Amino acid sequence: MEQIYKSAAACAGVRVLDMGAALGNYCAKLFADLGAEVTLVEPVDGTRARTMAPHLEGRRDADSSLYFQYTNTNKRSIALDLSTPRGQDLFRQMVVEADLLIECGVPGEMEALGLGYATLRAWNPRLVMASITPFGQTGPYAGWKGEDLVAMALGGMMSLGGYVDSPPMVPFGYQGIAAANLFAAVASLAALHDAEASGEGQHIDVSMQECVVMGMENAVQFFDLEGTIRGRTAGRQREAGSGVFRCKDGYIYLMAAGVGANRFWGNTIEWLAEEGIEGVDALRDARWANRDYLSTQEAKDTFARVFNGFALRYTKAELYQRGQARRIPIAPVNTPADVLESVQLGERGFLLDVMPEEYGDAAFTSAGKFPGAPSQFSATPWQMHSLAPRLGQHTEEILSSLGIAEATQAELFAEGVVR
Amino acid sequence: MKRLLNGIRVIDFTWIGAGSFTTKLLADLGADVIKIETSTRLDSLRIARPFKDGVSGVNRSGYFADRNSSKRSITVNAKHADGLQLIRRLIADADIVANNFTPGVMEKIGLGYDAVREIRPQVVYASMSMQGTTGPEKDYLGYGLIIGALTGLQHLTGLPEREPAGTGTNYPDHIPNPTHAAFAILAALRHARRTGEGQFIDIAQTEPTLALMGPWILNSAFNGRVDDRRGNTHPDMAPHGVYPCDGDDRWIAIAVADDAQWLALCSVLNLPRHERWAAVAGRLADSDVIDAEIAMRSREWNGPALMHALQAAGISAGVVNNAADVLTTDPQLQARGHWVTLDHPEMGPSIYNAPPFRFSDAHSSPSSPAPLLGQHTQEICRELLGLSAADTARLVENGALV
Repeated sequence: MEQIYKSAAACAGVRVLDMGAALGNYCAKLFADLGAEVTLVEPVDGTRARTMAPHLEGRRDADSSLYFQYTNTNKRSIALDLSTPRGQDLFRQMVVEADLLIECGVPGEMEALGLGYATLRAWNPRLVMASITPFGQTGPYAGWKGEDLVAMALGGMMSLGGYVDSPPMVPFGYQGIAAANLFAAVASLAALHDAEASGEGQHIDVSMQECVVMGMENAVQFFDLEGTIRGRTAGRQREAGSGVFRCKDGYIYLMAAGVGANRFWGNTIEWLAEEGIEGVDALRDARWANRDYLSTQEAKDTFARVFNGFALRYTKAELYQRGQARRIPIAPVNTPADVLESVQLGERGFLLDVMPEEYGDAAFTSAGKFPGAPSQFSATPWQMHSLAPRLGQHTEEILSSLGIAEATQAELFAEGVVR
Repeated sequence: MKRLLNGIRVIDFTWIGAGSFTTKLLADLGADVIKIETSTRLDSLRIARPFKDGVSGVNRSGYFADRNSSKRSITVNAKHADGLQLIRRLIADADIVANNFTPGVMEKIGLGYDAVREIRPQVVYASMSMQGTTGPEKDYLGYGLIIGALTGLQHLTGLPEREPAGTGTNYPDHIPNPTHAAFAILAALRHARRTGEGQFIDIAQTEPTLALMGPWILNSAFNGRVDDRRGNTHPDMAPHGVYPCDGDDRWIAIAVADDAQWLALCSVLNLPRHERWAAVAGRLADSDVIDAEIAMRSREWNGPALMHALQAAGISAGVVNNAADVLTTDPQLQARGHWVTLDHPEMGPSIYNAPPFRFSDAHSSPSSPAPLLGQHTQEICRELLGLSAADTARLVENGALV
């Protein structure tokens, strides 16, 4: 296919103020990576995301958090004390020019500062403001504290994860925080779509707990329609032929029956037969076409008896290549190190080679790979043009763009209004 | 109140999980999403459990229904020459065309990007195959759980000494892929509106989930440290875990973010106050001992009562809600109106997720239940294609509209 690359970016001209931390920064990154002008508006001691693990080895400073570094590419930073009148005046000037403001304050915090949406909208009627909080702006839990773990619990996803004989297990990587950022980004772009046409902005209220509920798959429908409560299944097959299986050098994930129609079962059985696996005939009869049978312990045990020994003969890479060649849904259980070595991701250019010297004054001193575009655009490509900013790295530049004279800027720094 | 994507039309070839959820987001936001279906090859989610009253049928799956609210369904066979022609006419004034087939499937039926942009140059054409349209693994197949395995999420979730637990769900289908895809589509739609230029979006369903693993991929790439499973522990918080409560399989999550919260937790649960646990470093070092002390006490408590006591003391805590709890007892989700009951023509009143965000001045809930298979065939033929009832009947008869 012919690929047409043009310099235009999909979010060109969109101005975003990112007052977020873990809740908010990835949302704003999605805009920044598509060409929006995103400014981190940080407190003078820096956003809390700058303290999040993991860190660059041997460092603990405002630029060492790899979490912060990853979620703040392509942004500028101004450090601003919003509790001061002069800080608020600068903020007002920035809001007047903005299209989207992202914040994660405790509900009522912006109002207490005199910066509630009603005020901001009076300054700039087309402003879209996204407020991302653990439980949302209203309701009995609105003022509650909600770390990722707690939102994953109250949002129900944790009830589906973990071993049958263990407590529920939280998915790795703060997926509740991720979900809140992602749904906020979709809602924000939909609101901008309308605001650019109508001139009218929106206040968007995003609840992390509610975003987590979207990850409950079909469990709520199972309860609603069949009256059953899905539980945890790790450590066992979900149904016969589906689950984690040990192999020579780790684990693979197999879904021999797929989802819905049992389309791929026969492929797995033919594979085992060609490999001369003992007992494969036990997996052939008509019962195996019935999903209810696949859910029985007898079916799971029968499958395990035939498959376990076979899987141990090969590496996860071998099982992946051979199984997929036969149109079987199978994959290696990859580590982050395996991800970095993926030929597929390499060929697609998903992993970017980052040489810090090419990005000017960067926090990194060594070269390495960054995850790149989550979507590839033919006309408006995703781009990484700068690494995450240092705290207040662009304060002077931003003050100058607001038309503030150098002498006044010096005062603002001296008074601690900006940093 | 308005719907934000009113006036946007999507010709929707997506099926199963991630694709259908992407276009549900657009449909619930007000876009006119026309689901292209054919009874000659069903969306396999239509025949996936759970079914209304446990009775199977193409219009009875709750999994399908929740993923397809606010859409219209036309049954049209793209492999029939007349059917293909009707689809091409629907595309002629569409804003978005979306599919999640393996690469080459749309090309084979004559609706690849090059063919579609001949009909509609400014169209946003989104392709969501498992591994993208390029690279040696582009033809590989899988589902959300397979993507969880490829991206490291499966490996990293669970206990270090046991097999990887993962999320227990096809998680990438539900959150990472639909949201990244909808965002990409809306961004391209903005570009098309401003410039008249359409484009092709290639979404590999592995890459959005990998994008969420960024900090830990960097940890491996820059530090040479390969993260492993760590149960419910946290690198910077202790205690941070899930503890038993009174009752069968009832649990509470507690995350202590600072030293003041630790003291508050000690008060509520009457925990021993060792000097070495006053600061987080000491608590991280002794987290197994502390977890056991907490579990010994938490199991005496009713979960919700402990949650309220801890939140009142300023501690982040929440019970592990199961599917019945989120639907029937959680007061916060109810107060937000998360669950919407829609009267489905065959399933009757049934539960749908509303999008997890609220707008001050626009609707954000589904406008209609999932469509029956081909429910809107006549309506779409009449309204959008200008066909008479007789023409439509003839096209049903000759196998184009099936």
